[in-house]
Order: sequence, then structure tokens, then C-alpha cells
Amino acid sequence: MSPNLYACAHAEEFPAQALLRIRTELASQPVAILDGRPPLEMVCSLNRQTRLKGAALGMTRLETESISGLHLLARSLETEAAASAVFLECAAHFSPRLESVSNEYACACVLDITGTERLFGPPELLAERLRAALASSGLRASVAVSANFHTACMKAATTRGITVIPPGQEAAALSRLSLAALNLPIDHAETFAIWGIRTLAELAALPESDLVARLGPQARDWRNLARGVLPHTFQPIEAGFSLQEFCAFETPVEQIDSLLFIGARMIDCLATRAATHALSLASLAVQMQLDGAPVYQRTIRPALATIDRKFLLKLLQLEIAAHPPQAAVLSLTLSAQAGQSSKVQLGLFAPQTPEPSRLDVTIARLKAITGEDRVGSPVLEDSHRPGSFRMESFAIANSSSAYKPVESSSVLPRMALRRIRPPTPVRVQLNDLKPVAFRDREQSFKVSAAYGPWRTSGCWWSTEAWNTEEWDVLAKSSSGASIACLLVRNCTHNRWQLEAFYD
Amino acid sequence: MPSASALRIQIENALERRFPSALTPQPRTILETASTGIPEVDRLLDGGLPVGAISEITGPVSSGRTSLALAFLAQRTSEDRVCAWVDANDSLDSESAAANGVALKQLLWVRCKNQLQGTKPIERPDFSRPVFSRLDQALRATDLLLQAGGFAALVLDLGSTAPEHAAKVSLATWFRFRQAADRTRCSLLVLAQEPLSQSSAAVVLECAPLTAQSANQTVLGGCSYKVSPGRLASSIKTLSIAGQRKPPAVEWSATGAGQREASA
Repeated sequence: MSPNLYACAHAEEFPAQALLRIRTELASQPVAILDGRPPLEMVCSLNRQTRLKGAALGMTRLETESISGLHLLARSLETEAAASAVFLECAAHFSPRLESVSNEYACACVLDITGTERLFGPPELLAERLRAALASSGLRASVAVSANFHTACMKAATTRGITVIPPGQEAAALSRLSLAALNLPIDHAETFAIWGIRTLAELAALPESDLVARLGPQARDWRNLARGVLPHTFQPIEAGFSLQEFCAFETPVEQIDSLLFIGARMIDCLATRAATHALSLASLAVQMQLDGAPVYQRTIRPALATIDRKFLLKLLQLEIAAHPPQAAVLSLTLSAQAGQSSKVQLGLFAPQTPEPSRLDVTIARLKAITGEDRVGSPVLEDSHRPGSFRMESFAIANSSSAYKPVESSSVLPRMALRRIRPPTPVRVQLNDLKPVAFRDREQSFKVSAAYGPWRTSGCWWSTEAWNTEEWDVLAKSSSGASIACLLVRNCTHNRWQLEAFYD
Repeated sequence: MPSASALRIQIENALERRFPSALTPQPRTILETASTGIPEVDRLLDGGLPVGAISEITGPVSSGRTSLALAFLAQRTSEDRVCAWVDANDSLDSESAAANGVALKQLLWVRCKNQLQGTKPIERPDFSRPVFSRLDQALRATDLLLQAGGFAALVLDLGSTAPEHAAKVSLATWFRFRQAADRTRCSLLVLAQEPLSQSSAAVVLECAPLTAQSANQTVLGGCSYKVSPGRLASSIKTLSIAGQRKPPAVEWSATGAGQREASA
């Protein structure tokens, strides 16, 4: 059995990294993350550019504001949680056995990479690939590989880049590290400082029995840590897969373009993560916290699951444009449901149909022009009410499962109605209870033939009751034009309306 | 003595700079057509309405324009094709469409609406603006659908739009529609009261009402309509020795609601 081998990935300054992962426009700018309640906020994380400007951890807001050109962002735990999920998800591609060793300001995990040489090559190669995968997700991390769990953790937390410690060389690899790497309690750290012990090598050189006699049994663990021999029971976690991205804004955002700028990056991250699992995005839920208004929620469902970023961004843009938020946006959350990558089997002799993804965008644009409920397929209601129908969203049905209408060649052409919505009220002249003339707002008509009445009624038990009398009427207008139309009398209110023309 | 073909080649070579292929008849472009579902109209059009071109069906109210368009859509949807109806005045009757055999699931219906509805009343109502607004929506929707491609037929229903408003649509718009319809192989049917697209239309049919039939003097049994070609593309026109003559008008009839119930 091969000896255990662990790889630790450690992302320092995680509050800053998590925010800059979404806010890519600030990636090359000096950024400091403030944590705490106003006005007692302090810098909890910063990037390299900020250090070069003279800022440091623990500075107050007032001190940081005195440094010119510094971008101050508020810490967002939701963003860090989303970034942490991405971090673990990336690591899970290399080993199913993960243990999280994150702390308040750093995200770290240890992978059990025992026996992965045949999959990923030697540990150096695996470390490089792990670091590259994290970098592609927008996270910068250092990686250390060791046969000892704690050695890998300490080395990854204190050095940059990739470190591979050969088995048996743990003590040598840790020898130069400061005693601070052990996170000792303050009183014991002071004791070691008084003794002149500053590095792990010096601690490892102390006799174990004397150390335990003076500092207690925990001193044995510290010494073993410094020698790189402290054993560890691996406690693997289940790396969940949830497609969610969150971004909180430091100032409320009112412009849709600014939202889309962030949304594009979030969609990009979601699509990339789904693609790594050979999945696509089946739906995209948009949630926005608004300034003094209820939470904004919309869901985008493309006809086919896709990872086409431009297409999803266009749908998001059209959705937000059609339903703009009622107030400034404080935070944006995008959650996606994963779906199987769609495959469409085209037939050589199958008729051409609109491309589903393009049709989605077209329908969204049509809805933006005419209205949400004005575009779709008509569906006849199961009712005797004349002209009743409802609109359903248009989707290209699979020809094998689609409803087959009556063979059209066997259907004789029928007189079609052209509805007047809303119907025009008319004044009707009756003779022997039959219409003989009628008049609307513009002109008068003389009836040459009237067929009817066709009486219909229904829903008497509800407020949508109807009781009408229909007449098919042939008439001539005062200008001499012949028309065939449908006159309807509302029997309840005894009102006549011109409902439709036969055309 | 040179043969006729040699003589022709000689003349063509001489005139090549000014009149290329002067004596060679131009190859006839045969437009693909699709049946309208009405045999009389198909005979008139030599097969049906052209695919990838604009066809205009014009006429007054009750002249059978809508019935003709629905019959055409019924044919196209029965072939598992997808069609669209851009309704400038929201006048399509879905029951009539279903009764004519249109597969409603394969029909995308765009119902333009008056954008001024719901706004606060103004002192002097501007009746022209809503019409333009609906017309503008219909044109934009048509443009989008034509650009999207994949629709076998698209009906732009301007049948209830006043001719003076519809005539203001620029010829450049119709030309763009023609190009897009040609590229996406879509039959664009324009229902209007008067011809609008002029030279961009491959076919213009003028419809007129003829007579109405009644059954037992109690039921409107159906109507007869007259269809005459207002303009036909050169490929559809019947060539004859006497020259290109406009084909005569044809009559066709549609059954009414009473006949429908009787046949059912």
C-alpha cells in the first residue's frame, strides 16, 4: 500500500479574492476590504496593489481613506460562501476526498491524493493543474504536497506557489517557518519568545519530556507539528454542487447596464462550472435585493439547456428590460439549475424550424415590444363561450409527439372571422325581432339578410356569466360596401355589439 | 451561308459591350411555390403562393382575405412547419383558425396592442398615434421573425389598418422584408386593404366578395369570393404567343358555421 499523500490548496486574502472574482474590473486596482460595524470598520483583507500603496491589515476606514486611489469594499459573506463553493468544487475534480481547513480570512482545503498518480501524473503535475484550475475560476492559491496532513497545511499557508515535500523531508521543509505558523496561544507564544525559540526547527530540537513537563501535554503536539510527524484522522466532506453566484454592491445600482456587467461575469462563472460537470444551464433565477422594495425575482427558462454565455446574457438583458426593478439594486444573486446538454436530432427531410435558442431571444424581444401576454400560441378553451381562448408560450413541439390537426386537405375552406377587440357598440333597428339596420360611430348599414338568432349562455353561477344572441348579418354600408358580420346582443343588458367581420 | 446559331453568336459578340447576351433569352427563375389549399387559387397561381417572397392579399372587409390566409397556413402547418401571424389589430379568431385546419401549436401569434391604453386621458385624443403605434409594433415584429428564420410562413395582418396609414410604410422596409424572406425561405403574406409593397411583392391578389349562400334561409351557408391577380411575378405568369396576359379572375367559396356543424 502506498503511503498517504496530501495536497493542500490555500487561498489567502479570501475576502478580497472572492469579491474581485466577480468584480473583474477592479482586479488590477488597489482594493481593501472593510469588515465590522460602521464607523468601526477595519481592513480585513487587501490585495498586492493595496500593500504597495502602504495600506495594512487592521487599518481603520479613516486611515485607508487618507490613501489616494484606494477602492474600499465592504466584506460580503455571501460572496465568500459562493466563492468557497467554487473553490471546493474545483478541488473536487482532483480527488473525491476533501477536508476543509478554512479560517476566517483564508479558504483552504486538503485533498487526499493518494494513488492519483496514474490519473494526474506526479504530485508536481497535479499541483500545477489544481492551481491552474483555481486560477481559471478567478482564485489565486498556493499548493503544498506532503505525506503529512499538517505539514501540507502549514507549508501552503506560509509559502506562495507550489511546494512538493518528499516523504521524510517534512522537518527540513518546515525548519525555517516562523513559530507563528502553529497558531500558538498568546501566553505560550510569549514563553517561546522569552526562551528565544523563533522557528519550527528550534522547537523541534527541544527535548520532548522537558517540553511536556513545562508546557503541558499539548506541547508534544506542537513539537510533532514542527517535526512534521503529527498524525491526523482525515475527515472528508461532501463537496456540494450548487450553481449560485452572489454579488453585493457597495452603493445601490440603478443602471441596468451596470447590473448586466456583473451579471455577465456571473453567468460566465456558472456556465464554466456547469460545463466542467458536462452539464448545461436549464434555468436561471435572478434575485435582487432592492433598496426599500420587495425582493425582485425572475426566472429565465431557455427552450434548451445551454451554456452559451452570450445567449443567456441576452435573455437576462431582455428579461430585466421587460421587468425593470422598482428600486435601486443592493445585491444580485444568480442561481442556475443544471440540465443535460441538449442535443437535437435533425432529420434530412424534416422541415426547417426556428433555431430554439434564437427563437427564445426573438420571443423575448417580441414580448418587450408588444407585452408579456401578447406573444404565444393560442389554445382554445374548453368552453362554449364564443371566442374564448388563452395564450400559451410558444414552443416548437417534437413532430412525433405534436398534436396532429385534421388533415388540412380534407378541410374545406371556411369563412373566417376577424374579431373586433374590444367589440364596437352599435345601435340596431329591429323589425319583427330581426335586425334590419344598424349604425356604429362612423357609418350606417342596411341589413340585406340576417341569420339567427343563435343563443348561447353559460357560467350563470359565476361573475363571468354570459347570455348572448348572435346574428350572422349581410349588410351594405352607406358607402355601398357589402359586409358579412357578426352582431351580438347581450341579453342581460340588451346591448348590441359588432363583434366580428366574416372575411 | 452561316447558320442561325453562328449568326446569333456573331451578333452577340458584336454587341457584347453594350448588351451582353442580347439574343439569348434570360434563364427563367422558377419560384418554389406552396399550395394555398384552395384549388382554384392554386391554378391561378400556377401551384400556389411563392416561397421566399412577399405575397399580398388585398381587398375590402369580407372579401375572403383571412380565410385564404388561414387555408394557406393550414397547408403549411400540416407539413409540420412553423408559422407566425403578426396581428396589427389583434383580430385573429383562433376558433376560425382551428376550424380551417391550422395547427395552433405551430402558430406563433403576435398580438400588437395599443400602447396608449391605460395612460391618462389627454385633452385632445390623437387617433392617428395608436394606429401608428400598432403598425410600428407589427413591422418590428415582422422584421424580428424574418431575421430569426425557420418560419415557413408569416402573415402580416394589416387588414384592419386604414390604407392611408399602411401606405406610409416605406418601400425600403418592404425591400428589406423581401430580402429577408428570400434568405430564410419564408412566405410572407401581407393582408391589407390595398397593395402596399409594390415591386417588392411577387404576387398581389385582389379579393372581392361575390355572393352569400344560405341554407334554408335560416343559416349563413357560406360565401363566394373572387380572386384576381393584381400582380404576378414573371415566373408565375403564363407565357403565351400573344404575349403576357393577366390570368382571369377565379372564384372560390368558403363554408359558413352552419355548414361546419352539418359536416361535423
